[in-house]
Amino acid sequence: MSDERLQLPPKPKPSLFAIGVWVLVVVFTVITARRVGFSFSGIIEDLQRPNPVLDGLWNIRWGEMFSERSRKAFVETLQMAVLGTTGGVIVSLPLALWSTEVGNPYVVPRVILRSINNVIRSIPDLLWAGLFVLGVGIGALSGLLALFFFSLAVMTKLTADTLDGIDMGPIEAADAAGASHSQMLRTAVVPQILPAFSSYALYDFELNLRASAVLGLVGAGGIGNRLDFFRNRGQWDKLWGLVFMFFLVVFIVEWVSVRIRRRLV
Amino acid sequence: MIRFEQANVIYDGGVTAMKDLDLEIGDGEFVVIVGLSGAGKSTLIRAINGLVPLTSGQLDVNGHDVPNLSRKERRALRSEVGMIFQGFNLVDRTSVINNVLMGRLHQVPTWRTLIGRYPDRDIQIAARALQRVEILDRAYVRASNLSGGQRQRVGIARALAQEPKIILADEPVASLDPPTSHVVMKYLQQISRDLGITTIVNLHFLDLATAYADRIIGLRSGELVFDGPGSACDAQVFEDIYGRSLTADDTMEKQAAL
Ligand SMILES: Nc1ncnc2c1ncn2[C@@H]1O[C@H](COP(=O)(O)OP(=O)(O)OP(=O)(O)O)[C@@H](O)[C@H]1O
Ligand SMILES: [Mg+2]
Repeated sequence: MSDERLQLPPKPKPSLFAIGVWVLVVVFTVITARRVGFSFSGIIEDLQRPNPVLDGLWNIRWGEMFSERSRKAFVETLQMAVLGTTGGVIVSLPLALWSTEVGNPYVVPRVILRSINNVIRSIPDLLWAGLFVLGVGIGALSGLLALFFFSLAVMTKLTADTLDGIDMGPIEAADAAGASHSQMLRTAVVPQILPAFSSYALYDFELNLRASAVLGLVGAGGIGNRLDFFRNRGQWDKLWGLVFMFFLVVFIVEWVSVRIRRRLV
Repeated sequence: MIRFEQANVIYDGGVTAMKDLDLEIGDGEFVVIVGLSGAGKSTLIRAINGLVPLTSGQLDVNGHDVPNLSRKERRALRSEVGMIFQGFNLVDRTSVINNVLMGRLHQVPTWRTLIGRYPDRDIQIAARALQRVEILDRAYVRASNLSGGQRQRVGIARALAQEPKIILADEPVASLDPPTSHVVMKYLQQISRDLGITTIVNLHFLDLATAYADRIIGLRSGELVFDGPGSACDAQVFEDIYGRSLTADDTMEKQAAL
């Protein structure tokens, strides 16, 4: 080994584009912060005023975590999240396949599918829930449907993007062996995306679990209904108990999910 | 039997990759195709199972009129023709046996493929194919956990599982080292002899070509410029095919010695 220092080629300068993007990000953040009237001193001042919501936090009713009604609401939330995720995930696989070139040789249906998916995806889950509450009525079914469509859109998009980057070699091999189109998809394509797909499905479940807390605020069932109930009555101590419980559930689910996902990909 | 008559392939960009080809390959022959890069070797091989369509001319493969096949007939043709690839084209994320079972797809009902439950008979055929290339003990290993030589043997087993009449191999050893290349070529030769499978192999190392071929076909710019037994192929013939003098890059042994 010699001690001679190696001369590296001159470092490329950061591109004008990159600099421009950074400047824009900073300017945009500052402007919006001023628009919204954000100030740190304001926050601290607000925190010092008497505040029943915060008082509730200091006197949490832990008992609320285990009350009969809260438990029922939790079970409903979990049911919504599980069913919504499962349904969305199952339907998303064929939709993702049909909206990509490997899975669907015909351009027109492909473009149509992608456009429909873009529309579905542009509607946030809370709005879905609101729409279904109007259409189907107040209750868990609306929440379930909202989560289904939300999952469908997210999963289809992520899976379709993964499909665009797969190895074409096995597809050629399946075609050369005389496989039919669906046989080719099953044997040459699906095994390639399955780990990523499962990982997305778990991530989608995490998203849905968290979303299902909010859905109740517009009447779509689950734990959110109960949160809304306490909020309207100003029972902040009970509300915080419930929030804490929910936090715990989400934390555990994510902890498990992250561990599984790490092994998948 | 494979018979080209006045066959032409002109690609979209205007490149003529096959020019007025007249060629007949009999059942059970072991043919090696040589030629410079871009001479049209892959094009010839892929025309046989319809992966590349002819622009004009006739091509008959075991009684299939290749240029005029319906989609269903083309699948039937492909089921009779096994293919082996330079890059192996295995599904890395799944087991060796699942890769080999891909060779059975044309016999297996679609619903069984979809749920991944293959009939016992087809699993037996796949297992026998793996045994022939002596890798049956790795049947449940993931394909990504094999060495290059082992992966190509799985590639051969997949083609064999089709119980094909013809095997096409497009530079099957180009990504392998010399000893492994010989192992793979020996399996191909032996399979062709034992089972009477017509085998067509693209190679770019001349010493490998002469060592294994019963018959060598030389291509230059899409045209057939040599057709004769491997024994008739000396350095002079190769220089004619290549249109230049030979270098160390053209033989595996010399190149390996570099
Ligand atoms: N899909 C394609 N579209 C356009 N031109 C192509 C296509 N495939 C091959 N060609 C051209 O046709 C000619 C013959 O290609 P081919 O792949 O058959 O050669 P080859 O002998 O297999 O070469 P190599 O040893 O590099 O694999 C080349 O000039 C190539 O650029
Ligand atoms: Mg080639």
